[in-house]
Amino acid sequence: MITTAALGRLLILGALLVSTAGAFLGFASGAKRSEEGLRWSRRLAYAFGALMLVATLVMEHALLRHDFSVSYVAHVGSRDVPVWVTIVSLWSSLEGSILFWGLVLGLYIAAATRFTSRGNEEAMPYAIGTWLACGSFFSFLIAGPANPFLTMSPAPLDGPGPNPLLQNHVLMVAHPPLLYLGYVGMTIPFGFAVAALLRGKIGPTLVRAMRNSLLLSWIFLSIAIMLGGWWAYEVLGWGGYWAWDPVENASLLPWLTATAALHSAMVMQRRGVLKGWTLTLVLSSFLLTILGTFMTRSGVFNSVHSFTQSAIGPTILVFLAAVLIGSVTLLALRIDTLESEGRIDAPVSREGTFLLNNLLLVLFTFTVLVGTVFPLVVEAVNGKQMSVGRPYFDSMVVPMGVALLFLLGIGPALPWGRASREEIRRALLPPLAGGIALLVVGVIFGARNPWTIVTLFAGGYALQVTLVQLAKLRHSRRSFGAYVIHVGVAIAIVAIAISSTMRTQREVMLQQGQSATIGAYTVTFNGTEERSEPHRTSSVARIAVAKDGRAVTTLEPRMNQYEMMREPIGTPDVHSTIGGDLYISIVSLEANRAGLLLIVTPLVSWIWIAVLLMAAGGFIALVQFPRFAAKTAAKSLVEAKATP
Amino acid sequence: MNRFVLSTGAVITAALVAVLMSGLGRDPKHIDSPLLGNAAPHFVMKSVGSAETIDIAKFRGKPVVLNFWATWCAPCWEEHPVLNETARAHPEVQFLGVVFQDEEAKIQDFLRRRGAAYPTVIDDGGRAAIAYGVGGVPETFILDANGTIVVKHDGPVSQEQLQSYLAEVVRK
Repeated sequence: MITTAALGRLLILGALLVSTAGAFLGFASGAKRSEEGLRWSRRLAYAFGALMLVATLVMEHALLRHDFSVSYVAHVGSRDVPVWVTIVSLWSSLEGSILFWGLVLGLYIAAATRFTSRGNEEAMPYAIGTWLACGSFFSFLIAGPANPFLTMSPAPLDGPGPNPLLQNHVLMVAHPPLLYLGYVGMTIPFGFAVAALLRGKIGPTLVRAMRNSLLLSWIFLSIAIMLGGWWAYEVLGWGGYWAWDPVENASLLPWLTATAALHSAMVMQRRGVLKGWTLTLVLSSFLLTILGTFMTRSGVFNSVHSFTQSAIGPTILVFLAAVLIGSVTLLALRIDTLESEGRIDAPVSREGTFLLNNLLLVLFTFTVLVGTVFPLVVEAVNGKQMSVGRPYFDSMVVPMGVALLFLLGIGPALPWGRASREEIRRALLPPLAGGIALLVVGVIFGARNPWTIVTLFAGGYALQVTLVQLAKLRHSRRSFGAYVIHVGVAIAIVAIAISSTMRTQREVMLQQGQSATIGAYTVTFNGTEERSEPHRTSSVARIAVAKDGRAVTTLEPRMNQYEMMREPIGTPDVHSTIGGDLYISIVSLEANRAGLLLIVTPLVSWIWIAVLLMAAGGFIALVQFPRFAAKTAAKSLVEAKATP
Repeated sequence: MNRFVLSTGAVITAALVAVLMSGLGRDPKHIDSPLLGNAAPHFVMKSVGSAETIDIAKFRGKPVVLNFWATWCAPCWEEHPVLNETARAHPEVQFLGVVFQDEEAKIQDFLRRRGAAYPTVIDDGGRAAIAYGVGGVPETFILDANGTIVVKHDGPVSQEQLQSYLAEVVRK
């Protein structure tokens, strides 16, 4: 009988074979325009997805059965942890996470092959070839340097369980899969961009397929970044949600270039310009996801996310270098074959602001990238260790964020194409009311930081423009979705500005029964309680919270001690309201004495709400609702006729 | 062929790959000790299993391997046989274990079962660990015959690593 580990290895070898063959076949049938070749590469794409799915199921089965003869199960499994922890431990450690990556890639490739082929028959073989080439690389990683299916002999009787940070909060269940959906999804638009460059042309159906797949990844990436921030806030205990940690930056980089690409693709659709630029942004978004993978898994960057040092770093670096060289060569050879069908003739127009938005987003990306890799440069040059901290990022990024927020208001207010001075004035002046209104409200509530005040003004301006546009819209589902995203972005930036500049915090040492106040809250320490679960023991501080003299809730920040960990892991507790949060984390804890960090932060919840709004807007723009579909089709027919 | 795209792309590719490659093999959690090249902080500590004290100054004239460890630390168990064997093979080098945040009974039990080829002292209150800037156990410092710290090693040390460190101080 074949063992589980051997079955897993066999499936992965099958996936490696199928994807390599499919990649070659895809490119060959693209070059020869062979329909038979395209049919076969499509079949191989489905086969790759199926093999990855079965291999992942085999691993989940081994995890649930505690089959410690499989190396990955021996490494992260444990008989003591709850079932949900066992299921999600698939992505708790390096090898499993790469297998999970392979699964997501396989499913994406199969779905893209199935749903985007119509109208793209000429580009499809190259796209499938590119996707399967990526599939081939990841199957190679799983089969070789990061193999989770090695045989353990003799098999241990029990394992250590997954990383305690994963067990410590339920958000960890959702953050990694969504991040992978965002990261891996960038492979699909990448394939379309490569196909467009190889063919030297990009028609409307290909642009739509590329934009939709990019938007889908963008939605997942947005939610994943937000969940990561939320998790950091709920778990790490310092009361913030973003630390400019290298791996946080790694997830932000492709998000920025994808945002730029979504906008430039719109100008490309409307005006027939910026083709090469848009494709460059799409290629960059994919490359940045590979860079992010390298950052998390090579052990080169110090971060809460880092997996342990491993041999797969060099392998991913080789892949990154190969994709970089391939992309640059392809762009250099083919970019001039993509002819512009027009030009941007008015700087003060909607497309003019799109261009400015793109430049700012690319500058933003570059700034974050430089800040992230700079410590490596310094160490390589003079051997000194350093880290680039918050001051650099804040001082560079805050002005850019505010400028983008201004554009968010000005862009949609302006018409497409050339406009008269009077039209421009009529478009840009009324929203000043919204800007001033939000500014005044903010100042009344205590905003004093100059950047916060500017942000409030820009946010109010953008919100008025966007809400007016939303009210005017009748039948464009895509624009409706886009404006919902804009509302989300404006709210998010304002909430970030307020929550980071207007929070108050204090550290207190309380004896049992003693109280302390922060803002309108009074907190009373009611003693410590020990709780024990199979996989951990916790010391819980019981804290009664009253606001303006009325009891509102009881918070229970805790220190969790996991069996296999030397240090306990603290978990703060948060009382969230729509106006702001009371956040309590433990500094020190004894039976009748507690050192507590108390933080009151206004509007934090709005960040999570805003990102969910952005994701909802993205889905509205993406999904063909039947009610809109007929109208959109009719409209694009009219547009097609109108375009010479 | 668009030369602008090619040259810009080539510069970005070369720079990024070179920077990332330089980082491979580097441990981002490692922090250089400011003590390297300086005199080892002085301490007098109680020896495990007796009332005697050991003064680090009395080892001057010999290279010293100073190993910070604890019985509750799994990597320290892994490392223990390596230290024992190397200590027996190198009588010209003085080995000294410093136990950190632990109980004497547990340490004695550990050494009885796993062997002790060199003396061990108890770091009461973690004073020596603070003086040496120990971030976690195990950590190993190598002192030359003049009492200067020449190596700081984080985590369990392997036979090969220890041999190469010793070759360095013995040669001096």
